Amino acid sequence: MKEIKLKVNHKDYHVAIEEDMRLLDLLRNRLNLTGTKEGCGEGECGACTVIMDGITVNSCMVMAFQAENREIFTIEGLEKGGRLDPIQQAFLDEGAVQCGFCTPGMVLSAKALLDKNPKPTREEIREGISGNLCRCTGYNKIVDAIEKASEYRKEE
Amino acid sequence: MKKRGKGIGSIFYGTGYGNGFPDVSRSVAVLRKDGKVKIYTGATEVGQGSKTVLSQIAAETLGISIEDVIFICEDTSITPDAGTAAASRQTYNTGNAIKKSCEELKRKIIDVTVKASGADAWEEINLRDVALNHKGQILKGEGEFIAETTEMKDETGQGNPYWPYTFNVYGVEVEVDTTNGVVEVIKAVCAQDVGRAINPKLIEGQMDGGFAMGLSYALFEDLNIKNGEIKHNKLTNYLIPTAMDVPDLEKIIVEDPEATGPYGAKGIGEPVMIGVAPAILNAIYDAIGVRITELPATPNKILLALKKKREVAL
Repeated sequence: MKEIKLKVNHKDYHVAIEEDMRLLDLLRNRLNLTGTKEGCGEGECGACTVIMDGITVNSCMVMAFQAENREIFTIEGLEKGGRLDPIQQAFLDEGAVQCGFCTPGMVLSAKALLDKNPKPTREEIREGISGNLCRCTGYNKIVDAIEKASEYRKEE
Repeated sequence: MKKRGKGIGSIFYGTGYGNGFPDVSRSVAVLRKDGKVKIYTGATEVGQGSKTVLSQIAAETLGISIEDVIFICEDTSITPDAGTAAASRQTYNTGNAIKKSCEELKRKIIDVTVKASGADAWEEINLRDVALNHKGQILKGEGEFIAETTEMKDETGQGNPYWPYTFNVYGVEVEVDTTNGVVEVIKAVCAQDVGRAINPKLIEGQMDGGFAMGLSYALFEDLNIKNGEIKHNKLTNYLIPTAMDVPDLEKIIVEDPEATGPYGAKGIGEPVMIGVAPAILNAIYDAIGVRITELPATPNKILLALKKKREVAL
């Protein structure tokens, strides 16, 4: 066992972890943040994407101890005061969600992209979400949604 | 060298289980105490949008807003069976069952209001008042839809296996790199017959998704079965497309209402993926003059086919 401090969705946590625990399990099983999904468990599908210090990571490939003193954002951290994040709203408005399993990871990859590049081209968007696999949507509506989210964020 | 080619693929698809297999959907519509209407049906939402489309059908039939439809599905302990979310059948089959159940509920409500006050014009009936005035009475309508299907005769090949049929055509442009065998789809268009588009945005979502699956089937997905064992058993080697492999798809919705469909609608879930692979293979032929006869058309197979073509030419 090891004790670590980390910040998740603006909140400070002090938690006891096992040395071989993955960040994904810490988030889902210890902090009950089950919005982060486990897909392949080997860093291929991106369903478990979270943002760590501004960079997207596959939380199945990051050990929990590596998150010590880091700041993490999960899908639960996006809404503000009961209002959806503009990216979440754009996903709804464009019909970019089908089964929804890839959605939390997609939204976080979109956030990391738009934080760095507020007005990406469609090609840049495709590249930005290329680490997140989706089986239902064919990606096009997701690309539409991220374009729309870029406009929504400009309006805010 | 990079070579471009264009190809089309056109298909027709029979909705439902077909070939005489019993294909039944059921629905129950109940008036709630607050005047809203509950729809119970076994239809499963797997992301295709059936909850939305089926709620729209109920709202349309009852002339109420979609917010006043309480849609209850999937829980087999409280919903009547509506078959599987398969065979592209939920919009058509369960949509018909829901329409019937709502029509029956409507008739029952009109019956009680005629008795109570003589009111028989649906537009003037307030569902909240009806629910209040008939507290002790459960007002509900049941609907069952049985799809038209007969077994095909083996000897003659005759029969009526499916109803209705759906049609589509895909056109694609590909670029084939003859040095490494990589095929890239650079442009695509899909025209899909939908009967009637109950929710155009959801139809577009199905077209985009079907296109990506069809592209993946044509170019990427290979289980690699050796001695009955699946060798490509993880996403590291069983490849599916990323957002960078799927081009934008131009989507054309063709409306030609189906007389037996709910408000003319037909299912399109599977049809939207069938035409993709033939269109891509035709485009590959147009680009480099070789026919690929085994899927997926991997770079290795493209290079082998080109080599064979050169050897024959010599």
